[in-house]
Amino acid sequence: MAAIIELENISKHYSPTIIGVDNVSLTVEDGEFVTLLGPSGCGKSTLLRMIGGFETPTHGTIRLADKDVTWDPPYKREVNMVFQDYALFPHMTVGENVGYGLKVKGLGRLEIETKVHDALKLVGLFDKVKLRPQQLSGGQRQRIALARAIVREPKVLLLDEPLSALDAKLREQMQIEMKHLHEKVGITFVMVTHDQTEALVMSDRVVVMEKGRIAQQGRPQELYDHPASPYVANFIGTTNFLPGRVIRCTGERAEIEIGGGRLSAIVDAPLVAGSTVTAGCRPEKVRLLAEGETAENVLEGRVAEVIYYGLGLRLAVELADGSRVYTDSLLPDRLALSPVPPLGQSLRLAVEPHNVFVFEGEVTP
Amino acid sequence: MSHARRNLSGVMVLGIPLLWIALFMLLPYGIIVTFSFWVKKYPTFVPAFQFGNYVTLFTDPQYVLVLLRTLKISVLVSVASLLLAYPFAYWLVFRCRSAKLRTWLYMAVIAPLWVSYLLRAYVWKTILGTEGVLNSFLKSIGLIDEPSSIFLYNQFAMVVTLTYIFIPFMVMPIYTALEKIPANLTEAAADLGMGPWRSFWTVTLPLSAPGIAAGATLTFCLSFGDFIAPFLVGGPDGNLIANVIATQFGAALNWPLGSALAIVMLVVVLTIVSLSDRMERKGATGGI
Amino acid sequence: MTRKILLGALGALALTTAAPALAEGTLNVLTWEGYADSSFISKFEEESGCKVNATYVGSNDDFAPKLMSGGGVYDLITPSIDTTKLMIDLDFVEPLDTAKISEWNNIYKKFRDLDGIQKDGEYYGMPYVWGAIAFMYRDDAFTTPPTSIADLWNPALKGKVALWDDKSSIYVAARLNGDMDIYNLTDEQIAAAQKKLLEQKPLIRKYWATAGELVDLYKAGEVVISNTWAGYQSGMLKAEGIKVTEFIPKEGAEGWMDSWMVVKGTPNKECAYKFLNMQLSPLGQCGVANINGYSVADPVSAKACMTPEQFTSLHQDDPAYLDSLMVWQPLGDRFEAYTNAWNAVKAQ
Repeated sequence: MAAIIELENISKHYSPTIIGVDNVSLTVEDGEFVTLLGPSGCGKSTLLRMIGGFETPTHGTIRLADKDVTWDPPYKREVNMVFQDYALFPHMTVGENVGYGLKVKGLGRLEIETKVHDALKLVGLFDKVKLRPQQLSGGQRQRIALARAIVREPKVLLLDEPLSALDAKLREQMQIEMKHLHEKVGITFVMVTHDQTEALVMSDRVVVMEKGRIAQQGRPQELYDHPASPYVANFIGTTNFLPGRVIRCTGERAEIEIGGGRLSAIVDAPLVAGSTVTAGCRPEKVRLLAEGETAENVLEGRVAEVIYYGLGLRLAVELADGSRVYTDSLLPDRLALSPVPPLGQSLRLAVEPHNVFVFEGEVTP
Repeated sequence: MSHARRNLSGVMVLGIPLLWIALFMLLPYGIIVTFSFWVKKYPTFVPAFQFGNYVTLFTDPQYVLVLLRTLKISVLVSVASLLLAYPFAYWLVFRCRSAKLRTWLYMAVIAPLWVSYLLRAYVWKTILGTEGVLNSFLKSIGLIDEPSSIFLYNQFAMVVTLTYIFIPFMVMPIYTALEKIPANLTEAAADLGMGPWRSFWTVTLPLSAPGIAAGATLTFCLSFGDFIAPFLVGGPDGNLIANVIATQFGAALNWPLGSALAIVMLVVVLTIVSLSDRMERKGATGGI
Repeated sequence: MTRKILLGALGALALTTAAPALAEGTLNVLTWEGYADSSFISKFEEESGCKVNATYVGSNDDFAPKLMSGGGVYDLITPSIDTTKLMIDLDFVEPLDTAKISEWNNIYKKFRDLDGIQKDGEYYGMPYVWGAIAFMYRDDAFTTPPTSIADLWNPALKGKVALWDDKSSIYVAARLNGDMDIYNLTDEQIAAAQKKLLEQKPLIRKYWATAGELVDLYKAGEVVISNTWAGYQSGMLKAEGIKVTEFIPKEGAEGWMDSWMVVKGTPNKECAYKFLNMQLSPLGQCGVANINGYSVADPVSAKACMTPEQFTSLHQDDPAYLDSLMVWQPLGDRFEAYTNAWNAVKAQ
């Protein structure tokens, strides 16, 4: 696979102190589905808009299919954008909207009609060709916006929070639909979102951004299982953070003393004994121990809160030092965890060493 | 009792505006319409029902001539206002980066509305006059040797003055229409391959059309009914329909003919307003 | 002075004439500027105990519409002699008790005898001031002084001519055509006058409507020749330092005369007659002559208060001059033919 987008040391300084994007380098492969993920203000949208040509970087180079496009206006770039509010033209019909971008290509009327037809068919809305955008539902508008962008057969499709205006149910459905669309058309997709689930579900690769920089990038599973920083661990999924101190570290195994007990962890790099660290673990990787059962990392505490979320239960367990650990358990059937532990009941929890992340220093998530 | 009270408030809410309309709009129009069928008879005029006044208006060339001239001047004022106001409003909305400057400039255009109409018209008299500011300027830069009299007391001066006076009514609706266009629509046009010029023609202009229609209607109707600019800066060929109406009600003491003229004028204005309303409505369904 | 003219013109333009309050002993007069000037009215108010509220008109055409829109507002009006008859025929004014006007018999007989102020043997108007519709030129624009109406048709003066926006322009053009019976023109003669005026139109800078406007036109160097209300605008221009000369063309000039008329049913009759007497007395006659530069109707009062020079320059002792003027006459049902022709000229 060849690189389709190459961002080289891209920065966007609004003023010497206000920096939108800070020295970002990123390569997107042809056909990839890459998501820029982060909270608002992290620079992900600015980065996307710079790829689209709506903003220009103050430093760095943008290459599109080996061509330097840093200074090209949007209408000279072979990329198309699906805007957050879809930006459909209210004074045009659905058909005119989709055909709009073909008019400049010097195509014949018949050819345009065929392409519009195909694009609308692809998103399943051919029967709406004569309607105005305002006559459509949010989800339908979303699809028209998609059709309008892909009908031009761009090298890259840019999606700026494409699903944020939809309700939860429709959003879930569209996530899958767009993933399929991506597979079908084979165009490179670059999406911006603040929704980690969306990112994980849809993308081949997720780029997590923090304060204008790339915090971590990788396949969804990589990011989930091996967050490189508390920021990533916290932004993707839920993580229990437990402050502690390294007792010893031999090879890849570290012993951490935390307020409510001790934890063993498998670490990538050796840690200095006595240094302050923060241990982290995903709630679903924390297991409730049955009576008499033993495990390597055991924490004891009392049930402080029970949260029921349909698919399972989340218990907040308060350790001896007052810190809380969340544990998720699925409810495959009614009997697995019945009765629900009452508040205040003592419990023992366990987490496998390879499921414990250790971050240096103190973390205030 | 609460029923009665509700009835009373209903009467107040609906009744007062209706009374207002009946008393201050329908009644005067009714009177004018009635007069228009009366007939002139020394010393004044007498009740009658005949269409002679209307026949006069469309057979005596002097009225047709003035009507056509008034239409011409009004169209020119509307077009001139549009050509000046649109780029200005466009620049304010899309290009002016400083919000402070934008507000300031917008106010600068609107502020003259609070200055007396007459004062503003007089200003143009001093600018365009033979010994006026414009001539002095042209002389000082050596473009002309002798002061020219071509600027004042003609239709050009009327168009300039009326344009100046009524341009706020063009700037305001266009500004509002342009401001309402979401920025991402022009971005979308650029994204879909349209250069700035084509994007303007296919997106910005059609979406601001309701503003243009509103502005053109206002400037047209205001110019169409104006009778002071002809008086102050118009020349011997500057008589407009409102001047003729004033003459018929005053010097000629021919209220019936004046009323018939007023009705014709009203019909023209109402036609324009309803056309523009239809256009705006069409634009509104295309709105966001 | 100029400021006053300007304000007067603006006031007339804006048509913002608030209806004066009705009060016993308060006279509401609808008149020309200067006819109720505070320079002499204050004294009258002190002596008589009658208050005077003046509303100004910009043209003779203002009287009828203002009185038509409802009576009971004005007590006294001063239309010109071409409009007085209309006021009588419209039944807006009431006959005068001339016995109550002490100076009545001193008024020029020529004026007392005018048809325009009489009906069925009764007098309705008290002659007050008079003058010529003279012609005027800017001294610095002519080497040979103009002497004829034809000079206003001189192509060399293109764009430098002004003419009063009034039916009197028909009188001017008719005289140029040699039709001297200007108040009894036939349709053909009116049509010929209309044609003549259309020929002149390309030379016209502006048809002037108010005194102030004509003054401004001369001041701004826009026009060099026009007709004028003798004594009035030339006086203002002289005050501005602009040298103009009035002349009576060889085709003759129209004469005008304004009369005080009492509005029918006025509740202030006593004050009204006090006012009429004052206006014919030296106080009123010289008051208006000093302000407007017009000749007055009562030569006896004039003699009593004017310097000999003023008396002479206002032609108060010159019956021949007065006789040479073609004093305006009511046009009656021919009125429409005249105004229609003039409107057609303006419409072109």
